[in-house]
Amino acid sequence: MQYIIVGIGGQGILFTSKVLGKIAIGKGLSAIGSEVHGMAQRGGSVISHFKVGNYKGPLVTEGNADVVMAFDQSEGIRNLSFLRKGGTFLVNTSSPQAFQNESLKKYLTDREIVTCRFPGYDILNQHMDGNTLFLNVLILGTASGMKIEGFEKDLVVAALKELSPPKYLEANLKVFDLGIEAVS
Amino acid sequence: MNERGLSGNMGEISDKNDFRKTALLLGNEAIAQAVVAAGCLVATAYPGTPSSEILPAIASCVDRLNAPTVVEWGANEKVAFEMALAATYTGARACAAMKQVGLNVAADPFMSGALLRLKGGMLLISADDPGPHSSQTEQDSRFFSMFAKTPCLDPSDAAEAAAMVEDAYALSEKHNIIVMLRPTTRVAHCRQTVDVLDRLRPGVFDRPVKFDRDPNRWTQLPALVRVASPQHNARIAKIREEFEIDWREYNYELPAKGKPKLGIIAGGVSFAMLCDLIGEWGRDDISVLKIGTPYPLPCRMTENFIARHEKVLVLEETYPVIETQLLDRGKVNGRWNDVVPSAGELLPEVIEEIVLSQLGEMISKPDSFLDSSSGSSALSTVINELNLTPRKPQLCAGCPHRGSFFSIRKAIPNAINPSDIGCYTLGINQKGLDSSLCMGGSVTMSSGFYLGHKAAGQERPVVATIGDSTFFHMGIAGLLSAVYNKHAFVLCVLDNSVTAMTGGQSHPGIGKKLRKNDPGRTLDIEAVVRGCGVTFVETVASYDVTAGVDAVKRAWEHAKANKIPALVIYKHPCMLLHVPQNIVPVTVREDQCVGCRYCIDYFGCPGLSFGEKVKKTSIDPRYCVSCGVCEAVCPHGAIIKRPAKPLSGAA
Repeated sequence: MQYIIVGIGGQGILFTSKVLGKIAIGKGLSAIGSEVHGMAQRGGSVISHFKVGNYKGPLVTEGNADVVMAFDQSEGIRNLSFLRKGGTFLVNTSSPQAFQNESLKKYLTDREIVTCRFPGYDILNQHMDGNTLFLNVLILGTASGMKIEGFEKDLVVAALKELSPPKYLEANLKVFDLGIEAVS
Repeated sequence: MNERGLSGNMGEISDKNDFRKTALLLGNEAIAQAVVAAGCLVATAYPGTPSSEILPAIASCVDRLNAPTVVEWGANEKVAFEMALAATYTGARACAAMKQVGLNVAADPFMSGALLRLKGGMLLISADDPGPHSSQTEQDSRFFSMFAKTPCLDPSDAAEAAAMVEDAYALSEKHNIIVMLRPTTRVAHCRQTVDVLDRLRPGVFDRPVKFDRDPNRWTQLPALVRVASPQHNARIAKIREEFEIDWREYNYELPAKGKPKLGIIAGGVSFAMLCDLIGEWGRDDISVLKIGTPYPLPCRMTENFIARHEKVLVLEETYPVIETQLLDRGKVNGRWNDVVPSAGELLPEVIEEIVLSQLGEMISKPDSFLDSSSGSSALSTVINELNLTPRKPQLCAGCPHRGSFFSIRKAIPNAINPSDIGCYTLGINQKGLDSSLCMGGSVTMSSGFYLGHKAAGQERPVVATIGDSTFFHMGIAGLLSAVYNKHAFVLCVLDNSVTAMTGGQSHPGIGKKLRKNDPGRTLDIEAVVRGCGVTFVETVASYDVTAGVDAVKRAWEHAKANKIPALVIYKHPCMLLHVPQNIVPVTVREDQCVGCRYCIDYFGCPGLSFGEKVKKTSIDPRYCVSCGVCEAVCPHGAIIKRPAKPLSGAA
């Protein structure tokens, strides 16, 4: 499985790769990935490549990702070229009207891309007092809810229990469930 | 022997279940564990992406294992390298880590140290940044190893980097020579499942630490160098011979299953990416020679490989180091004939294109939508129609540098603004800097700008910026020189109490050392610069724009009148340190905002959003941290402190 996780600096993209790695280790699989994060905390674009299986190099090539997970809608669309035909596009939408664009609709249809959109900021506003720091766990929930390989619910929960700082664990588990609900 | 309790804590970690496991490690963490496991006693560094995590990871490993290793930041790379090098004179194993540009700073002791017959093992880790992602240059440290004639190990992934550490120490001690480990960004910053068995034990160091006086060995006098140089060449020849034979773990051939159409010599992460591609294609007509020891190159091995192939391609980042050492490049394609591009990362898609064109085949991407080089591709159309531009890196919301740059520009608008290497280079978004060269360059370039104008009989104000860590790294020497030579300029130290750009490391101005419970002393910048002979020093709060403007104006008057550098220290902790601060909520009065974009163009906080349709600025609550600085920015008074009650009927 090859994953591309994109967004902007400060959204907690690294954490998602760590969860994927934890789950891979649990299954006895090898994993390798790379994040471009020299300027990440300064609000620039961030992209994380992650590969589970027998790979040596850390980068995903265009047209080979099984999943593109986008913390930011614009970054997600900009990096769609990584997605293989029939791959899954999971995206936190900020302006849903962009998906009315005819060229985008045609692109997604022609390439048989399974698109899953969820209004992350709205959900966090409604349930988590607008705390955007929870976006990464929310997206883990949506990936789990979408039954994407590598995000099996029990395994994500186990990884969250291990990786979350204790004081955030309860909230993280709640947000994770919100993510699952958002796509079910 | 275990006199210093080097493995005193073995009992605690000998629970095999605890460390017989696979972990997902950053390349730098894997290297760090291996350094501690090798029994390194002194580890030093100066932070620089992509090397920055190595030293903190060594510290955390040392703490976990209760190893005796001393772990300290140097004020700069030369300092760090020299501390580590001298430690090896006592027989200890030592390690200095830095990024490729940092090695330029440490070049002097590296070149001299290369000739020595060391006692303890010396590992130099120089992390390269092809691409480059966060560097001023794309330079290749392997060339530096060749320049200094020291062996270089070039890992292809995190696991191999870790494995190379112990072998590097063994090689170093066998030949009493410095050994360079050279990970690149994709190795240092890859995250890989690594088997940590054995690596979580502190290494056993079984020699006494003792410095024996021997001036003939430890002083680099010309007469001694004349003897040392030929001896040094002889040991490099020996090491080359060893690389031919004994280093098959890192230098090996992956022969094509069928008849090879192409032979590829590859090193570093290019090898890893090539392997994935060949696997993906399922090809049996490409053989690969993997080189993990690019200097000195095992030439017989490469010549033999070249002889057995009709056509050979060399893939390596960043410079043609292996390629240049090949004895006969007659049937070799690479950089010398532009088959391989001479700049930029060798990304998998770049390698794919080169290899397929060498095989004389068309590039068949998974589907026709993916012709991203052509502007007419389906996705490019989408991106254009939706106007999706990549986000520029910018200073964080509430970053103290933003207020500093704003007041510096406002104080003397016609000043030349040299700047330096650090977060504040992002002040370019505020039109706050005119030059940026290298660490400490803002100070010396200020002298240069002053002198250039002086020579032409002119005077132009110069207001330079430098960070606190950079000031201690390389700023002081330039400042001393400017005081001595009587150069008039204003130097603004943007003191955010941390080395922010590389992730928040400590430095001499903070009073904290790298490890917990290992306190240092705080060096006060004001006192330091007064000691350097600077007579005007003022500290202002970075958030106080009015005070900042005033201080810079007065500093320049003082500098001009006395022909001496004057200093303004802007002080406020970095936002990433999460120090509690006053909450000053602000709002934009719509009736006052004229849509001039001044706040966006010259302040540019992520918390300020400009509505292109309404032509007004508003506060973006997603990013605003209520620092209140922008209140001083709007020339029309439209940004105001938010009253306790929401404004009603204001618009």
